[in-house]
Amino acid sequence: MNDSMVKVYITGTGAVKIARHYPLGVRDLAFQAGKQALAESGSDNVDFVIVASSLSYLQAPQLDLASYIASSLGLHGVRALSVEAGESSGLAALETAVSLIKSQEASRVLLIGVDKMTEHPSGPTYVMLQALYDTESDAYYNIGHAGIAALLMRLYMEKYEVDRLTLAYWPAMMHMHAKNNPHAMLPFAVAPEKVMTAMPIAEPITLLDAYPLGDGAAAIVLENGDELEGRPLAEIESVISATGMPSPALREDPLDLESLRTALGRLGGLEKIDVIELHDSFSIYGLLELETLGLAEKGESAKLVAEGYFSAEGEGPLVNPSGGLKARGHPIGATDVYKLVEVSRILAGTWQGVKRGDEETGMIVSINAAGSSSRIALLRKVKG
Amino acid sequence: MTRSLPVWWRRRIPRYRLIGARCKECGKIHYPPRTSCPYCGSNSLEEVQLPRRGILESYSVIYSVPGDNRLNAPIIVGLVNINGVRIVAELTDVLPGELSTGLEVEAVVRKISETSDTGIITYGVKFRPVLGAGSGAGQDTGEA
Ligand SMILES: [Zn+2]
Repeated sequence: MNDSMVKVYITGTGAVKIARHYPLGVRDLAFQAGKQALAESGSDNVDFVIVASSLSYLQAPQLDLASYIASSLGLHGVRALSVEAGESSGLAALETAVSLIKSQEASRVLLIGVDKMTEHPSGPTYVMLQALYDTESDAYYNIGHAGIAALLMRLYMEKYEVDRLTLAYWPAMMHMHAKNNPHAMLPFAVAPEKVMTAMPIAEPITLLDAYPLGDGAAAIVLENGDELEGRPLAEIESVISATGMPSPALREDPLDLESLRTALGRLGGLEKIDVIELHDSFSIYGLLELETLGLAEKGESAKLVAEGYFSAEGEGPLVNPSGGLKARGHPIGATDVYKLVEVSRILAGTWQGVKRGDEETGMIVSINAAGSSSRIALLRKVKG
Repeated sequence: MTRSLPVWWRRRIPRYRLIGARCKECGKIHYPPRTSCPYCGSNSLEEVQLPRRGILESYSVIYSVPGDNRLNAPIIVGLVNINGVRIVAELTDVLPGELSTGLEVEAVVRKISETSDTGIITYGVKFRPVLGAGSGAGQDTGEA
């Protein structure tokens, strides 16, 4: 943990609607999101550009990506840094940005998350997505993008005697929430029965349990609280991470998200959280995260979701008002930055989508694959 | 999913022979062998031949099969427990309807993938339901 007294604020946000953007490349998407965030922050003046991206390195290879993106934004001479941590790239970039600001190495940082998933047909893309998992063990086999999650989902169903229909309420809730998210890829409702009976992609996972393949970019401007140029939307209270076993097969309990557990331990306990954006590339991960965070007993989270406990009308914290990776979409390295945009808009009162209206604290969680690494960010409303 | 010959070649023996690694520090066994023990971090490891029979703890029938291996869809992936050592691997010689957790499976060597642009064909251990005594082409080594 960084004990610096420097406070870090989000003062600008930008997000491109997630879609199959055939006419737009990585730099075009990053430009749109970056310019929006800079405009909202009130100044184009930044001393660092940090770019979170992951799959793009396999889809449309460009190394030293951040420098090329900085140049395309017209930010010549700025310092630039690329950060890659698979599906957790966005929060890894946030960790980097916050530590640069807290150490006073930077005072204004433009953080862009951008990724492309549609430069190739879905077959080759599934091969690339396997590289999120451990290529020295599990991903030597043809596990696809969903195989490991499917193994864990079946383990969970049998261990806790949870039926398939109960597990279908997670995607149904995500689709319900995404309807009101202006940058969601799948903004339409889906009934739980439809999820259960959709085309299987990796049994017991169906097409409607899985995240869609879409392109996107989101951006935020981060500033040192002592030198604010923009009006803050939210304060970054902390961001923390931990690595974990390279394969769930190596865990004593394969269902134990030990990297997230370790990260949570580093935070030293949680106060009341009003809104949470979890990592639900597949529903099972979202459910395991709820249980790891202590928001549901082991084996009970799916039932709570089905009962509406985490919905806008529920008694629990509001979970994934964005629609989650499932329905907002999951452009791998960009996803966490979408979550940062969404949660800071909720805390600032400018969010158009699902909300309760009195949110003061927000949490963002991401994991790569089945938990090779996990990250947690805590955000706070700026009062006054 | 190997597109590089050296990447596949340097790891081939454990994949053909189901050779795991035993940590000399903490005693735990893992497969396939890693650079260091995933449990305690020690790089003091020794090779150990794993028994060929295990129990199927979970499985998935995969229809969204990656790339050039689409022709082989569906592919079945399993989580196999061999005396406490868990392995993610493909299953073979079994129909989706014959699968259930708790099934006893045994290791055989099969083709894993073929990549058209490089021509690389990779092989390795897969698991199939135990066929019963006297069959199974002598795959059961009897090792514990
Ligand atoms: Zn050890």
